[in-house]
Amino acid sequence: MNAQSAKTMWALLRRELWESPVAFKWTPIGIGIFLVFLTIVSLVIYTQFDHSLTSLFDTMAAFANTDSDQRSLIVTAALFSVATLFFQIMLLIILFYLSGSLYDDRKDRSILFWKSLPVSDGMTVASKILTACLLIPAMFLFAIIMTQLVLLLFASGLGLFAGVNPFTTFILPASLPRLWTIMALGLVVQALWLLPIYAWISFCSSWAPRLPILIAFGIPAGIALIQHSWSLATSFSLPGTNFGWMILQRLGGGVLPSNININFNEINDVDFNQDLFMSFGNLGRIMIDPEMWIGLVIAAVLLLGAVWFRRRASDN
Amino acid sequence: MTATIRARNLSRRFGKTRALDGVDLDIPSGRIVGLIGPNGAGKTTALKAILGLGRYDGELEVLGMDPSKSRDRLMRDVCFIADVAVLPRWARVKHIIQLTEELHPRFSRERCMHYLKNTKVGQDAKVKSLSKGMVVQLHLALVMAIDAKLLVLDEPTLGLDIIFRKRFYSNLLNEYFDEERTIVITTHQVEEVEHILTDLIFIKDGKLILNSSMDDIHERYTEVMVKSDQAEHARALDPLHERVLFGRHIFLFDHADASELRELGEVHKPSVADLFVALMRDDENDSLGRPAA
Repeated sequence: MNAQSAKTMWALLRRELWESPVAFKWTPIGIGIFLVFLTIVSLVIYTQFDHSLTSLFDTMAAFANTDSDQRSLIVTAALFSVATLFFQIMLLIILFYLSGSLYDDRKDRSILFWKSLPVSDGMTVASKILTACLLIPAMFLFAIIMTQLVLLLFASGLGLFAGVNPFTTFILPASLPRLWTIMALGLVVQALWLLPIYAWISFCSSWAPRLPILIAFGIPAGIALIQHSWSLATSFSLPGTNFGWMILQRLGGGVLPSNININFNEINDVDFNQDLFMSFGNLGRIMIDPEMWIGLVIAAVLLLGAVWFRRRASDN
Repeated sequence: MTATIRARNLSRRFGKTRALDGVDLDIPSGRIVGLIGPNGAGKTTALKAILGLGRYDGELEVLGMDPSKSRDRLMRDVCFIADVAVLPRWARVKHIIQLTEELHPRFSRERCMHYLKNTKVGQDAKVKSLSKGMVVQLHLALVMAIDAKLLVLDEPTLGLDIIFRKRFYSNLLNEYFDEERTIVITTHQVEEVEHILTDLIFIKDGKLILNSSMDDIHERYTEVMVKSDQAEHARALDPLHERVLFGRHIFLFDHADASELRELGEVHKPSVADLFVALMRDDENDSLGRPAA
């Protein structure tokens, strides 16, 4: 990518931010404020039962005396769980964003304005995918980091009252640089893992005459249903691998810890330790999984299809 | 001199309708061309083909490029207003200006601001809060601020008040137009553009029924205002068209002998609108095409 294309891409990404400030900017900020608010409310309710917070301070003091691995596990797990709500809402926002990304401007005819600019259709589609894979996750990650910092400071403040050293009890065990790096890389790997689904929705968005989100979900759901009934009718059994199930598994079986609980097949084997979410190895393992690469090939084909339709798209 | 637009046998079908039916077209640079036709004549289809926004059969070259293959490349030198008010409704004025500045190498913010100066379009306003006319003003300012070789205006002044329309066309002619540029305009308000056109094209049912320079048209067509008693005499000379105004008969002649006509009555050049009505009616007797007011 040369300097001019980079500049163009940057402008196109900012355009997406201008178009959807509520979804990309205010939603993550709102979730952060909500979580902080929830923490404060819980504490206030807690003081109704324990006016001087003695048991909380006792727990904190006890926690400060556990060994450092244990502390680290609990603090990082707590910080990761803060991210869960963000990640799930982010996924919904990405899916809805993509379904409208190549459709809305056809509907309101502003596609004629966009097509009057010297920007190729490939570039346009790429900007939508990059928004879904990098821009939105970056906005959410920023809000997550801010929320985690506020909550850590909050815990540290309480820790001071409890008479424990907040630095060694909370901040150091959180190993923030490592945590954030893993989250950032995890978001990128997750985006690649979900790319075939993102690409499918963009593809539908590029040609759907109306309601692209229904079409994007309806077609795979329909195929799954047909496969299901066909299998039942012909062999009186459920299909071994169902198309719809495969897609749900991919959506749920992402690589972020927030997704473990949806990955039904493996839930019993999960050993709750830090490797689960604090290791780079997991990410590496997913990157060399053949399923990842099959998905990327499917995504490439679907995106070429999206560009093909985009090139022919006009205001009617 | 290479042609800005060159088309051979340009065609497009929508089901059974031929929106474009074997159009041959050569538009050199330094012209202002009016593309006039009734609704559904194929104007927009032709413009979309030229802008790389629609498929077509036949040969088409715009500034030496194939618009269906290299729209993005072509748009560095071409700009257009496809229709009224197609700017993204969610955007703020300043965002649109900034985006165009960053995405268009030939856009000048200064010129854009110059054209916006006399409007009520505010920088922080959202497009959806602007009136229809203000959106058009904004779009025109954006387009005029781009240093393009070909400017395509499809109904550019719909919804604008008469003062702005006059000023727009005068800006277009005095500040924007030069020997290097070509402007193609479609409009139903023919009388507003006829004094700036250098060339005139009439299109009907996907075919060009007139394609010549304004000079040739003035040479070729003559209108005579005749008193009723002379009307029979005039009809004998095989006029293209006849209409009655305040008890006087007005005849339109093609390639007629000027001296002969002067004996019949007052001779003058026909307006584009009158010529349009006459030619649209002449071509086929049915399916009368009338220019909208």
